Amino acid sequence: MTVHLAPDGVIELKDACTIEDAETLQRYLLAAPDAIVDWHLCVHAHTAVIQVLLASRAVLRGAPAGEFLRLMVAPLLAPEEVTPQIR
Amino acid sequence: MNELIEQFVIESRELVQQATDDLLVLEKTPADRERLDSAFRAFHTLKGGAGIVGFPAMERAVHAAENLLAAARSGLQPIAPALVDLCLQCLDQVVQWLDTTQGAGDFPANAEDGARRLVDRFAGSFIPVVPPRGGAGPDNAGWADELLARYPAVRAQSVTAVRYAPDRDCFFHGEDPVAQMAALPGLLALRLEPAAPWPALHDLDPFACNLVLSALTQTGVAEVAQALGDARDLSDIEALTSVVSGPAALAQADRALLVLEAQIELLSETQPQGRAGRIAAAGMVAFNLCRHMGRMADADTVADACSRSTADSSPRALQEAIEALLKDMSQKGDPMLRAPQGQTIRLLRVDAARIDTLVNLTGELTVAKNAIGHAAKLAREQGSGLAAMLRERHGVLDRLVGELQQSVLGMRVLPLRHVFQRFPRLVREIAADLGKPAILIVEGDDTEADKVIVEMLFEPLLHVLRNAMAHGVEPAPVRAAKGKAPVATIRLRARREGELVVVEVSDDGGGIDVARIRLVAAERAMAPVEVLESMSDAEAINLIFMPGFSTAADVTDLSGRGVGMDAVRTAVQRLGGKVEVGSRLHEGTSVRFVLPFSVMMTRIMTVGAGGQMYGIPLDTIVETVRIRTESIVPVGAANAIVLRNQTLPLLELAVALGVPRDETHRHETTVVVASIDGQLGALQVDRLGERMEVMLRPMDGLLSGLPAIAGSTLLGDGSVLLVLDMGVLLQ
Repeated sequence: MTVHLAPDGVIELKDACTIEDAETLQRYLLAAPDAIVDWHLCVHAHTAVIQVLLASRAVLRGAPAGEFLRLMVAPLLAPEEVTPQIR
Repeated sequence: MNELIEQFVIESRELVQQATDDLLVLEKTPADRERLDSAFRAFHTLKGGAGIVGFPAMERAVHAAENLLAAARSGLQPIAPALVDLCLQCLDQVVQWLDTTQGAGDFPANAEDGARRLVDRFAGSFIPVVPPRGGAGPDNAGWADELLARYPAVRAQSVTAVRYAPDRDCFFHGEDPVAQMAALPGLLALRLEPAAPWPALHDLDPFACNLVLSALTQTGVAEVAQALGDARDLSDIEALTSVVSGPAALAQADRALLVLEAQIELLSETQPQGRAGRIAAAGMVAFNLCRHMGRMADADTVADACSRSTADSSPRALQEAIEALLKDMSQKGDPMLRAPQGQTIRLLRVDAARIDTLVNLTGELTVAKNAIGHAAKLAREQGSGLAAMLRERHGVLDRLVGELQQSVLGMRVLPLRHVFQRFPRLVREIAADLGKPAILIVEGDDTEADKVIVEMLFEPLLHVLRNAMAHGVEPAPVRAAKGKAPVATIRLRARREGELVVVEVSDDGGGIDVARIRLVAAERAMAPVEVLESMSDAEAINLIFMPGFSTAADVTDLSGRGVGMDAVRTAVQRLGGKVEVGSRLHEGTSVRFVLPFSVMMTRIMTVGAGGQMYGIPLDTIVETVRIRTESIVPVGAANAIVLRNQTLPLLELAVALGVPRDETHRHETTVVVASIDGQLGALQVDRLGERMEVMLRPMDGLLSGLPAIAGSTLLGDGSVLLVLDMGVLLQ
């Protein structure tokens, strides 16, 4: 599984998360709305997964491994939008 | 007309001209990067102007052209003649709108149709550039600007903005919209927004896409469109213009400030009448301006202030809002928007009518100066002690008025570019219509001449150019047979020669067939056959200036309609100039306009007849002679004199003007010999007066119908002097 509920209650996203992960993620978040989502091992996330993260305003931990996620998507999910900087 | 709109029309016309010039050069040299940039900037600024004054139809039409040029700039769209044509069509439409706007004082109501046709044409012929969807609601307009405003760090690099609204069920088709955006070449920034507000998490359907994705890229529109594939149909793609920097951007910022200042001025009008209208208008302009510049928050503030001002019918709230905005923009705003500080304005835009007033006043001053000269003369004749002083003062005044006149006339001087710049385009069109390829070479377009002359030159020059194309330039097979280049060369040259300006149109066509001219003139009985035969070739060529003369074998819609070279000559003569034609058979024709540099002063000589004084333009006078009355020979009903073995028709001025003649018999009489178009004629007058330089005023009102009078001028003693039109008189 690329989405996984760790024993300490942290929801972990890793590698390439697929569309099916969206539903699982939603279920985990509904069960524990304040759960932290750790995505530092996540390389790619399907739009549906990102959509769940946006809608739930889940608290994210770590910078995702995938560059695109890190540079372009993570700022959109941060509590305060930060302007991406590309050099 | 609203001052803002007036300014907009003036500036837009200049930009249209600039864009036209650039496009025409681009057509010939598609690799000219500078011209491409310049054309793009012109279109961009045109669009900006339309946005500021609130003319959405024009904004959209110009935007379509701008998009295309943006694609060309990023190398994705070859600069083909079709592209140039389409952009020129857009400019034509803009000119039409501007004409209507200038005439009616407001934007044409039917502009939407024209804009739609243009946008369709642009969309149909080229890469899938999606036109901005105008009027589809506030969410839709300005999204790209908003996106740019959100990502200032990448603003400068952004070339294209894209907004993709996928289908709700796109996930089922195996799509991953975010991945699609990730794959965009040169992606700079991404933004994800819910299409509909996010529901509570338990109501969210994780398999339905509720996103609108927008992005900025540093690649061109076409590349983005290609990368999007099928998603393109659900996307808005806009070529960004924020990449424009330098003078254009500065000009835009400057103008924004000027526009806001104009609104404050408008609001500070105290008259209660029309106040509501002023508030609405100023609010609208400021609102549009803010939106146009991507200052959405400011736009809201302005709208808010405007509604408050409207509610309590006092402009104060709006005025304060605009002033705050102005301060913000000019001080700590975007550095690009900061007005250049401490820079003196080098150029002023002055209404031409004001300059004309100044010219007229200077003319009056000249007359007053002449009056003092007259007074000085009287004083001397009467032996007054003031005579010397008066004469000295008159000398000083003479010098100063002379200098004033020079500078004032210098202000009314324009480079001939103003009229020349319209011709490359027209020649291109005429060449296409006639199927005779030709290039126009313009030289000396920075030669200056009085505004009156520059403006009056268009019609006659156009006529001569048309003639050159229609009659001068041979059809391609004939050129080939003669061993000439297939593309004809037409030169339009101007130069200054002392107090004269010479404008010349020459072609490398077939030249004027003199034999044919004699034939046609004989056919039309324009002169007796023996006269025609005795004419030199040069004289025969001048027959083309006769009214109704046309040798063209077939009448085209371009020329040969009977309003021929006679109209050209009349127009040029009215400016105080003359037309000369030179021609070599099979080598080409050249038509020269010799014009005065300024139209104000005319040198005349005064003559007396029937107790009245009249002026004769000095440039028509060849000589003045005294002859014995016995040497006048009656020829039929008229008189003639023989002067140096040449017989000249003699006209008595008093008789010709129908004023009582001096009946006292004299042994000698004074004759003025004048030359009109190379023809000599003699005018019998009672006496000769003095030479002077006068400002000739055309006759107006009741007197304008008087034949043989070219105009009038005021003399030093306050009397009116009529100046004779020698051409009419001696004909």
